[in-house]
Amino acid sequence: MQVKKAVITAAAKAQRALPMQTLVDEHGTERSVLSLIVQEAVRAGIEDICVVVYPGDADPYSKLVQDSGARVRFIEQHEPRGYGHAVWCAREFTGGDAFLHLVGDHIYVGENGRSSARALVDTAEAEACAVSAVQVTRENLLPYFGAVGGQQIAGHPGLYRVETVIEKPTPTEAEQELVVPGLRSGYYLCFHGMHVLTPAVMDLLGTRDSRNVTLSSALAELAQREQYLALVQSGRRFDAGVKYGLFYAQLALALCGADRERVLAQLLEVVAAGSAQG
Amino acid sequence: MSELWSIIVSADPAVRNQSLDAFCRSATAGSLLDECAALEEHYRASTNLYDRVRALFFLYAIHRFHLAAKAGVAHRALIPFAGYENLLKRRYQEAIGIFLAAQSEAGPSEAISSALAAAYRGLAFQTLAGQVRRSVRSVRGNQWMFRMGHAADYPLRIRPELTAKRSGDGGFPILHEATPVRMDLTHSGWSDIFFLGMDYPQGARVLNISIDLAVRGSHTGQPKPPVEAYFRVIDRPVLRMVSVDLESSVEIGDDPGILFDFGRDYLGLLKAAVIASGLIPAGLEGSGQSLTAVLEQFTGKPGHGIEIVSRVNDIPKGSRLAVSTNLLACLIAVCMRASRQTRSLSGGLEENERRLVAARAILGEWLGGSGGGWQDSGGVWPGIKLIEGVEAAPGDPEYGISRGRLLPRHRILSRSEVTEQTRGELQDSLVLVHGGMAQDVGPILEMVTEKYLLRSEAEWTGRQEACRILDEIVSLLEAGDVASIGKATERNFEGPIQTIIPWASNLYTETLIRRVRDEFGPAFHGFWMLGGMSGGGMGFIFSPERKAEAQHRLQEIMSDTKRRLEGGVPFAMEPVVYDFAINERGTLASIADNMPQPYYHLMLPALLRKESASLSGSERSDLVHFSTLGRDGGGLQGLMDRLLPRNDAAPGRGDSLPELLQRFGFDPQMHERIQSDLRAGRIGLAQNRLPVSVRVEDAGEIAESQRLPEHLRQLGADALAEGAVAAVSLAGGAGSRWTKGAGVVKALNPFCRLAGKHRSFIEVHLAKSRRTGSLAGNAISHVLTTSYMTHAPIERRLRDVDNYGYSGPLYLSPGRTVGLRMIPMTRDLRFAWEELPQQLLDAQAQKVRDSSRAALIQWARQMGEGSNYTDNLPLQCLHPVGHWYEIPNLFRNGVLERLIAERPRLRYLMVHNVDTLGADLDPAILGYHIEQRAAMTVEVITRKIDDRGGGLARVDGHLRLIEGMALSREEKEFELSYYNSNTFWIDIDALLSVFGLNRSHLGDEEAVSAAVRRIAARMPAYITLKDVKKRWGKGQEDVYPVAQFEKLWVDMTALPELDTRYLAVPRMRGQQLKEPAQLDGWLRDGSAAYVENLCEF
Repeated sequence: MQVKKAVITAAAKAQRALPMQTLVDEHGTERSVLSLIVQEAVRAGIEDICVVVYPGDADPYSKLVQDSGARVRFIEQHEPRGYGHAVWCAREFTGGDAFLHLVGDHIYVGENGRSSARALVDTAEAEACAVSAVQVTRENLLPYFGAVGGQQIAGHPGLYRVETVIEKPTPTEAEQELVVPGLRSGYYLCFHGMHVLTPAVMDLLGTRDSRNVTLSSALAELAQREQYLALVQSGRRFDAGVKYGLFYAQLALALCGADRERVLAQLLEVVAAGSAQG
Repeated sequence: MSELWSIIVSADPAVRNQSLDAFCRSATAGSLLDECAALEEHYRASTNLYDRVRALFFLYAIHRFHLAAKAGVAHRALIPFAGYENLLKRRYQEAIGIFLAAQSEAGPSEAISSALAAAYRGLAFQTLAGQVRRSVRSVRGNQWMFRMGHAADYPLRIRPELTAKRSGDGGFPILHEATPVRMDLTHSGWSDIFFLGMDYPQGARVLNISIDLAVRGSHTGQPKPPVEAYFRVIDRPVLRMVSVDLESSVEIGDDPGILFDFGRDYLGLLKAAVIASGLIPAGLEGSGQSLTAVLEQFTGKPGHGIEIVSRVNDIPKGSRLAVSTNLLACLIAVCMRASRQTRSLSGGLEENERRLVAARAILGEWLGGSGGGWQDSGGVWPGIKLIEGVEAAPGDPEYGISRGRLLPRHRILSRSEVTEQTRGELQDSLVLVHGGMAQDVGPILEMVTEKYLLRSEAEWTGRQEACRILDEIVSLLEAGDVASIGKATERNFEGPIQTIIPWASNLYTETLIRRVRDEFGPAFHGFWMLGGMSGGGMGFIFSPERKAEAQHRLQEIMSDTKRRLEGGVPFAMEPVVYDFAINERGTLASIADNMPQPYYHLMLPALLRKESASLSGSERSDLVHFSTLGRDGGGLQGLMDRLLPRNDAAPGRGDSLPELLQRFGFDPQMHERIQSDLRAGRIGLAQNRLPVSVRVEDAGEIAESQRLPEHLRQLGADALAEGAVAAVSLAGGAGSRWTKGAGVVKALNPFCRLAGKHRSFIEVHLAKSRRTGSLAGNAISHVLTTSYMTHAPIERRLRDVDNYGYSGPLYLSPGRTVGLRMIPMTRDLRFAWEELPQQLLDAQAQKVRDSSRAALIQWARQMGEGSNYTDNLPLQCLHPVGHWYEIPNLFRNGVLERLIAERPRLRYLMVHNVDTLGADLDPAILGYHIEQRAAMTVEVITRKIDDRGGGLARVDGHLRLIEGMALSREEKEFELSYYNSNTFWIDIDALLSVFGLNRSHLGDEEAVSAAVRRIAARMPAYITLKDVKKRWGKGQEDVYPVAQFEKLWVDMTALPELDTRYLAVPRMRGQQLKEPAQLDGWLRDGSAAYVENLCEF
């Protein structure tokens, strides 16, 4: 299995300005959020990218991803039928191929400069199946993410065979359905906003007929149909769409990049000044 | 290897289920002690919980029931106080160490064995409770609640449907949950107790039915789910909890401490539900977090909170239908639905959701310090179901710890198994009632656990039989034979249930069954005990065509039987008959338009007092709703009743408090003196004590009744034959420990079945006198002393039962003095609760007790410390003034004069407590008293750990009885090896002379009264705290501590002019029955048989 295509969803009406926000990356270069995400895909060896957007956003967004190193196209989601539906809008683009999927409001900061998407794609190609990136997450954050339950694959630390997927579970459900051997109690495997999906996922999404199609429900079914794995990512993801999300993402980028000392010094100065006033 | 340990750990059920009693019967003291040492070693080393617990129960039973009876075991020994203190603090292991050291130093003794038995039993139950706590917390789905300690970590979110305002009135939607209660066709010998289900899952089987109810003849109409809960968002940042039926509400804002304080108000059950549902997780307790912040996270709306309302539809307490557990489950279910922890907001629940609700109900009961069985939340499931224990398998948290899982499996019986017709016939045949009694089932559940672990032969056979009856009932249900079901449930009650626990039955129940059978003959198919014991909720199965008539007659029969027995049997309420229907839906939720009407009656008065401008949107919406409801449904009257005072005074029947005080000889001057002394701190609990400088020492060796020379027996027998002796039973006391302050007459309580019938204390005493009279050839004169509260019921009962057939002279000696109870001083409450050694409870129960005690101290302060206690039924405000007065009363009320007139040779009285059942007119002891020429001979017994309240001592060198309250320090009591049995042999003339009287004065009321007053003034008045029950609502009871004073006969022994002797008598003769919880041990250790042998019924 080869993964050369990527689908990025950025069609949320309430977050239309988000992909255009500018951050400074690890190398000190100013980039838009969308370009950072596209860059992550390119580092994973992706050659064709499809961005699903709100009607009318293709033009402004296309300017953000010129010279990205991959072929980028835009598809509009005409009905606001949820996240799963947005992915499904790219079905013609993906055709019969496996594809990398990233969400348009997450920024990934890899550990020691390693790309999270690269590791995911490598695993998917090696195992020839769908793989979701997951992060070990404390239970208080369960209301924000989809989560998976499953068994670790012997000899592959950090790789799990997914048995259950629940979108935003309560801790009660999580404790009953999603406990994963080897994790500390109260911690679960939650989605990282990054997946390699097989064509079967598009088929499953196509069968959903509701106003709010979730990707998690399709993935839950996928787990019953074919091998579906989860790979724990050590890199960090930042949801740029929440309060202070962009700020935290910027901070993380700056602190693992070339300007680390400069930013740290400035931060300390701010903290010291705040303390003196307090 | 120890023989007993090999029984415990054997994998072979035939060996494992051997009884301890069988082993102990043939063992010597030496071999029992060797076994004890081996068990001690093994239980400490074992990691298996159930092996340890069974070993502890074996150790308890050996010390409690077997060792003391073996040759070579002494009776008298001192129990180390340090061990007792550890016992109170629930530090059982340390207590055991201290007691064992004392045993190896002084040799085995009855006294030390009693202490060891108490410690082993305590440790066994503590270990079991610890395991249940761990299991409940480790149920998957519950664990996270104990980890969450910060508002920012709060993981639940409200279901969005509940935050969308309604279009009409702008209020938030109301989620309504209605849950049936459960009745159990059989519980296979209380097999739903957690410990039992977890150790013996194959035998843990219950058949229970979910039902809707209505009290017959009430305004509620058709049967409906008896418990309901309501949930909604409100526009105030608080957690508001309202109990409509208990008429209580609370709003909790910032301080979550109030939520975790269960004893503070009547809302403990709602609080437990909110916590156990995870809505406010248990981990938040003590975290210092603001509840407002959690509510904001939950609702997603700043400034908003939630309201939870509970309602029980007219079902009184003690119904044996698990009303409170099902209400807890109902509240948990509504909270879980609202917080997205169930799949659907409305409708029924899925099986895994019902199981989680049941697990959380268990958690809630543990949090609230109460405890039910695992079948109790059966109302959550629909219809008829078989609930069975499940063996623990790999992956279960219990695996490797216990044989069974904490939670059972519920199998709902389908329509093909139990047909529609059978269900209908069951409904048409069963008359369901509440008999009016509401006793605590807790002690029974402990007895069941104990007997199960000991595998006592009869009980173990009974348990197997109970399991067979369950199978039989299931087959009968499948065959549709309802009449035979009635026979089977009655056989279950008569057989296994009473074999395991005789106390599950009582005279009231048996009278009802007999009367119903007499009246209905073959149309009455059988009796059906519900829940833990009979007397409250019960079932009677009839031929369907007689059901309506049976319902009508049962109401009359119950009311009439209650009237006859209520003098001696504690009833909480008037009996009722229910209408019921099988509920085939289980717990069910829907969106409701309104809160229930009584909610508005409770909550609106406060709203109406507010300025209309300051009303919030929700409050306005409530007003609008109520005004619509009120106009349409006549609810305005209820509101008016609440807003405006009503004149509840009943027309005078001579029973008002002032009238009673006057009638019963209240002395206002003495009362005022005591009241002012109490308020000034001159008297009180601390002042009861003798100064520390007084030297109190053990009495040393004294004469023993079992070693008296033979000629004394003849001397006594001659005196009996010539009519020189009368028996006096002191029956003026309230027996508040026996009935927990219920205000019934202990002396009339049919406490135990002896010689085939339930007998009251008085009947037993008269039976002993009858036998003595027969042997002596001369009937014994018997006097029962009475007081204001016991006289009329005793007189009435004796008339009803023709003096229990007693043909000898029988007198009632009415009391002449009464006291008025007082609100206690907070200093005395603190002294009793904080300075005196206290039995600590299990951590959660202790929390509940601490908070209710804080509330009671507040109550005393608000009511006015030391003021008259008048806020109860008038009779409950009075108190008897101690048994000192009961003997001089014989002089004053003419009874002694009449006794002497009838028996001129009368010289001696044997005076004893009504609960000293083994005391009889023993000729040898009488002979000793005569030969000693003493004015008084006192019977004492060697002390065991439970014998509290003073004893025989040398006080500054003078041998006398000393009351426990008078001892300067608690530990002093443990230095006294003899305990007062309160049986006194009195030489009438010698006693009269101490009073400065002789026989000729007895008709001179003035001289007698003056003499009594003179001696009374020399007797100390002890201030005591007593629990008094206040009943309200539907079988609800509150218990308040009140202050009263008493003078005690034991202090007569301090008078130097009263020549007193002391005689040690066997325990079975001298022991007293103070609490119903003692009964089972009393029956098992041979005491009951001993008493039976003294009687001629």
